Amino acid sequence: MIGFIIRRLLASIPTLLAVLTLVFLLVRVVPGDPAIAILGDRATPETLSALRAELGLDRWIGTQYFEFLGHALRGDLGTSMVTHRAVWTEIAEALPHTIVLTLAAMAIGCLVGIPAGVWAALHRNGTIDVLTRLLSLLGLSFPVFVSGIFLLIVFALQLHLFPVIGNPRPGDWIDGLHKLVLPAITLGIVMAAYVVRVTRSSMLQVLGEDYIRTARAKGVPRRSIIWRHGLSNALIPVVTVVGLYVGILIGNSVLTEIVFNRPGLGKVIVSALTQRDYTMLQGMMVIYCFLIVVVNLITDLSYGLIDPRVKQ
Amino acid sequence: MTLRITLSAALTAATLVTIPASAAPKTDLKVGMAAQDVGQLDPHRAVSTIDRTVVAWIYNGLVRFKPGTMDPKQIEPDLAEKWESSSDKLDWTFHLRHGVKFHGDFGELTADDVVFSLKRASDAKTSAFSADFAAFKTIEATDPYTVHIVLARQVPSLLGLVTNYSGGYIVSRKAVEKYGADFTRNPVGTGPFAFVSDTPNQSLELAAFGGYFRGKPKLEHVSYRYIPSDSSRDLAFQNGEIDLIYGKQDQAWINRIRALPNSVVDVFEPGELANLSLNITAKPLDDLRVRQAIAYAVNRPELVKWQGADTARSGQSVIPAGYLGSSNDVGLVATDVAKAKALLKDAGYPDGVTIKIIHTQLPQMLGSMQVVQAQLRKAGINLDIQVVDHATFHQQIRKDLSPIVYYAAARFPVADIYLTQFFHSASIVGKPTAVTNFSHCDVADKEIDAAKTETDTEKQVALWVEAQKKIVAAVCAVPLAEALQIWAHRTDLDYGYELKASLSLGPLLTEATHFK
Repeated sequence: MIGFIIRRLLASIPTLLAVLTLVFLLVRVVPGDPAIAILGDRATPETLSALRAELGLDRWIGTQYFEFLGHALRGDLGTSMVTHRAVWTEIAEALPHTIVLTLAAMAIGCLVGIPAGVWAALHRNGTIDVLTRLLSLLGLSFPVFVSGIFLLIVFALQLHLFPVIGNPRPGDWIDGLHKLVLPAITLGIVMAAYVVRVTRSSMLQVLGEDYIRTARAKGVPRRSIIWRHGLSNALIPVVTVVGLYVGILIGNSVLTEIVFNRPGLGKVIVSALTQRDYTMLQGMMVIYCFLIVVVNLITDLSYGLIDPRVKQ
Repeated sequence: MTLRITLSAALTAATLVTIPASAAPKTDLKVGMAAQDVGQLDPHRAVSTIDRTVVAWIYNGLVRFKPGTMDPKQIEPDLAEKWESSSDKLDWTFHLRHGVKFHGDFGELTADDVVFSLKRASDAKTSAFSADFAAFKTIEATDPYTVHIVLARQVPSLLGLVTNYSGGYIVSRKAVEKYGADFTRNPVGTGPFAFVSDTPNQSLELAAFGGYFRGKPKLEHVSYRYIPSDSSRDLAFQNGEIDLIYGKQDQAWINRIRALPNSVVDVFEPGELANLSLNITAKPLDDLRVRQAIAYAVNRPELVKWQGADTARSGQSVIPAGYLGSSNDVGLVATDVAKAKALLKDAGYPDGVTIKIIHTQLPQMLGSMQVVQAQLRKAGINLDIQVVDHATFHQQIRKDLSPIVYYAAARFPVADIYLTQFFHSASIVGKPTAVTNFSHCDVADKEIDAAKTETDTEKQVALWVEAQKKIVAAVCAVPLAEALQIWAHRTDLDYGYELKASLSLGPLLTEATHFK
């Protein structure tokens, strides 16, 4: 197992290197000048070039690249061109909010999606099945900025159960949880909609397998067939999907954070992009790629826990 | 428990929680700003509406516009108690107020800070407004409370340059030296509100400055929140979570917010004039007849109608209305599609012409441009609009990549600045002295230059009017519409003055601003 983890981690290194290079290039290919973004429309060319020099943007692009690479490999992502704070500091402040939101959405997605998927599979083509499929389609069709606003109108404006502005007071757990509910549900809906579909089809496939028929014939109780024999085998593709969709979830979390005005990586990256904060953008993209590499690793590892065959 | 009981119990609980807050007089102001984040809190680099609005609460100038106005005639003492100038207006002496304190431990304001600030504002390395100070020859402190400024040549409004606006803000020398490049996130001024903290992408917190020279502000705390999503910001305002909100220059928005209980929509100056700058050196616009065709094809009343009666008014010249030297009789033509077509035919384009332009994706600007596009199409002028994001737009128009540039702006309310930046040949984009002359206009240089040093106000105004007429005749630009500033506040908030105008583009918060 440890050998497997090490091999996987080593395999991630070229990926990260390629990502670093790509990130550096992509950020610079985007037109728009950080100096103009910072100084605005009235700045004279002299002022702009002074700022470019201050930001180190007047140097040869190769120098900038190797410096970035060297720093990044040592774990130094530099300082933001706009806020003058370390990129790490900003990420460290935003990351927990995004992780909490994503995990909460995943939890909602799995807690709602898996039982609903199993239920739908057991009532194949029945009313419950049709209804589940319809609801999941609805969940996938509504972008989070629509469902988020809808939840805000109902639960914040009409019922006054939650505030519209969702940045939690630092250190206040109850406040944090309170303000997490609506964004987590918004994002959870998307997740649940994916999970339902995969669980349903995977469950249907497993239930058609020979060993299930054998178990039935031997008189194994229905409950045991569904949960022990059926679900445990049906879960492997579900885990893969959950792992793969973390990327989509992170993308949707950007929008969710904007709608609910929650702090998090999403808000930071959008602001870095509009302000052409190169160092910040680079740092954020590195972190996103790193997160996806890690999530894929965890997904691979969790197969081992669910499926004994992978362990060997 | 049924759902209904649960909900009503929750509702009661929520109501109970909010009651104690309203029992005590409210002193916390929450502002909702359309922004991802604040950019620059260094006043000499603060250019966006987001930055300007908040910088105005932190800093003072030597003089200031009477709160709520932007009338140069109503400029009043701020950090300077009084001032005098020589008869040729080249020699100015400002006498500072005694006992003015900077925020924090940065001590008393002295002439040294003023000299430092004005020199900093006029240095291109440290200021986005350095061009405004080109005429400054010397700035020196003759004693701790006296500042002496000598100009190399006359300027249309020296007081305008040292107001609480752009380069006129006075910073603490000690603070700038202490924080260096980080000063932009550690602002230290003398204004009614002092910086407390800044949480990136969330909010900026300010506290009343107890040592403010006009007395302790009535508001104790101001939270400037960045809420980029328009709908979330509106919902938060509607839900009473914010008291003051950045609005939209859009009639539907104004109507909707006006209909809410407990809310007032603020509509105030300055109007931002949108001009269509036509690059007179680029094909096919180098032909005057093509430019005239565009001028005849544009329908200003229709644009105003589209933007909304409360926020928009028709452009009347190539500079905004109400500026010293502006005129509403500069020879603008009324819409005449037939004439536009005839001119186009004369110019050798009987089947119409297509012009490729670059424009920003900002919804309001894009919408207005699409209206213009539809109007021009009627005359056979097809605008092929390439939409890019706002930062890209700004970069590319400065590289002359768009022969037609839609640009909306407000400047200091004196004709000179607008004319110089948009229509003087020195300001042509691409030149080392470039500002925002996208049209490559050079037809009124003589008048603009002469007006700068003209001491007789009447003659000066006449020169400015002549310049506008020449620019309009050459069709360097076609004025479209002016959009006023739109904010909204809850009825219990009292600014402490009547808000008719604000050069910082957001409501000014003063020591008198309070909740009723």
